[in-house]
Amino acid sequence: MGDVLSNLSLGFGVVFQFVQWTPAFLGGMSIPIPVNILLCLIGALVGTLVGVLPGIGTIATVAMLLPITFGLPPVGALIMLAGIYYGAQYGGSTTSILVNIPGEAGSVVTALDGFQMAKQGRAGPALAIAAIGSFFAGCVATVLIAVLGAPLTKLALAFGPAEYFSLMVLGLIFAVVLAKGSVLKAIAMIVFGLLLSMVGSDIETGASRMAFNIPELADGLGFATLAMGLFGFAEIIRNLDAGGETDRQLVQQKVTGLMPTKKDLRDSAPAILRGTVLGSILGILPGGGAVIASFAAYTMEKKLSKHPQKFGRGVIEGVAAPESANNAAAQTSFIPLLTLGIPPNAVMALMVGAMTIHGIVPGPQVMQKQPELVWGMIASMWVGNLMLLIINLPLVGIWVRLLRVPYRLMFPSIVVFCSIGIYSVNNAPTDVMLAGAFGLLGYWLIKHDFEPAPLLLGMVLGPLMEENLRRALLISRGDWTVFATRPLSAVLMLISAALLVLTILPSLRKKRDEVFVESEN
Amino acid sequence: MSDTPSHGPVKYIMPKWIRGPQDFVGGLAMVAIAVFALWASSDLQGMRGFSFGAGTAPRMFAYLLLGLGAAIAIVGLVKDGEHITTYAWRGPLFVSLAILSFAATIRPMGLIFAAFTSFLIAALGTPETRWKQTIIVAVCLTTFCSLLFPYALGLPLQMLPKFLIR
Repeated sequence: MGDVLSNLSLGFGVVFQFVQWTPAFLGGMSIPIPVNILLCLIGALVGTLVGVLPGIGTIATVAMLLPITFGLPPVGALIMLAGIYYGAQYGGSTTSILVNIPGEAGSVVTALDGFQMAKQGRAGPALAIAAIGSFFAGCVATVLIAVLGAPLTKLALAFGPAEYFSLMVLGLIFAVVLAKGSVLKAIAMIVFGLLLSMVGSDIETGASRMAFNIPELADGLGFATLAMGLFGFAEIIRNLDAGGETDRQLVQQKVTGLMPTKKDLRDSAPAILRGTVLGSILGILPGGGAVIASFAAYTMEKKLSKHPQKFGRGVIEGVAAPESANNAAAQTSFIPLLTLGIPPNAVMALMVGAMTIHGIVPGPQVMQKQPELVWGMIASMWVGNLMLLIINLPLVGIWVRLLRVPYRLMFPSIVVFCSIGIYSVNNAPTDVMLAGAFGLLGYWLIKHDFEPAPLLLGMVLGPLMEENLRRALLISRGDWTVFATRPLSAVLMLISAALLVLTILPSLRKKRDEVFVESEN
Repeated sequence: MSDTPSHGPVKYIMPKWIRGPQDFVGGLAMVAIAVFALWASSDLQGMRGFSFGAGTAPRMFAYLLLGLGAAIAIVGLVKDGEHITTYAWRGPLFVSLAILSFAATIRPMGLIFAAFTSFLIAALGTPETRWKQTIIVAVCLTTFCSLLFPYALGLPLQMLPKFLIR
């Protein structure tokens, strides 16, 4: 317990760090500036700003805003990115409630009851409960990360390459099981991502792989390039296709009466609690994340409710539960990333990408060697959640106005913004073209009902998997049974195999689909 | 997903005995990608005996993808599934052109020109564009980006065309 407290105080120390700023125009006077808090605030604000734009999901937002953190020191950059992430999620729920266009799968469920509430003129309470639920979930999740962080790191240090490889396999299988839609297609997307990650030079021999002597490919496909292409450009193209203007049914009434009534609070409190617990658990699972959490929380709430028939017609529990669940999951999914170095979902994969750009390889070593980075980030999560609560409720009016920006003006801006962002990573025009190509690929994938998120995960895990597989085989002198003979690895492999079998079994598959389908009717 | 496009399915392209054309074509494309990757990594060594070479992992993943793609295609063949929806041409074309134009002009012409032209080209992607508005927004966005990226974020971007600087 003392450990947790000292770690958290280290973290808050980092977050509340003041830097003396001595601008020339003040004539040598210096002003202390809480840089990290400011970055957290800016991140949360900008994240909400972009996340609120209809049709732009969390992954797209984080990918698009990645370049603006490149110039910062690592701690600041990660704090800002985390802020962007929560902001984007909160922005997404605002869009779901007010326009009924969920930015991504995770907020689909919020739209069900949230939009109905908005239609009944209760958008204010819906937004407020979403914010309060998210904040509560955020607090719990922050504590959970702090408590679980250190012991898990110790566990991770006992891991050899064989265990790591098995764990990654398990994570990928989980990602498939918890994903929406066809299992086969999700696995195919992961493998496609793994394959794409192989482009470039081999880490050990330096041999150029699948690069066709193109100098720009020699270092491999840029992570930011791929993410922005698949999520930024592809989304734009798809939205254009779907007729961005026609199906926007913005709630035209003024959002008044922000404060929820006592009854609202009483109704939603248990939902928030349950959502937080469920979300925290699902978030920690490798492969888990916000999407499954919100679906599962909604389904559970409906099953437990005394009046399930009212769900979908604007009950506050239908907003409270998924919103707290997805925020809890969003945060606890940092646990596998920070302790084991394994990104459990696509957003965390983006985080890994960002860390690598700053020269940080996430994993147990970071926790030990750069504790101020990890704990600073964890502390900033709580601060970020608090800021979201403080800034978002008063700013709802601005977000609503932002929602009225027509798509025809918005999408060229996104194209330009993304292009500049990608170009600024390496100052390479080829990167921009590559991202464009990935945009078209992403459009094609969406058209054929392939989810691009697992691809991103595979892309990040690819090099890690290969390295650990190779090392494990090197240590065992080429003996493949090493994955079965080392006990920990064997257990992990067994779980993965069992999961995969279970998913393919028809009865379980029905249950799994139920979770997703129920909320769509 | 909520993205069911308003256009009808493409008819008469696929023979009737393919019952899920969307999956069938998707699976075949994955197979094609896998075959391409196998060909591209065929010059790499690895997997002779027990040596784990540069080519082992790519080939491993490529074979996996090959199998998965084939499975998806077979599922698409025998199980009723979605039709292929029509591809829009306008959005993809102009967005791609805008990206290409940005990539081509950023070096010689600088950020201001590249951002502005790219915005206007992208705006062609929808028939709903109203030019007066678009140009105003384009000017604002270009100004915003030319302040944000080089100054606020300190990224080394060249603002003006090369011939003006020299």
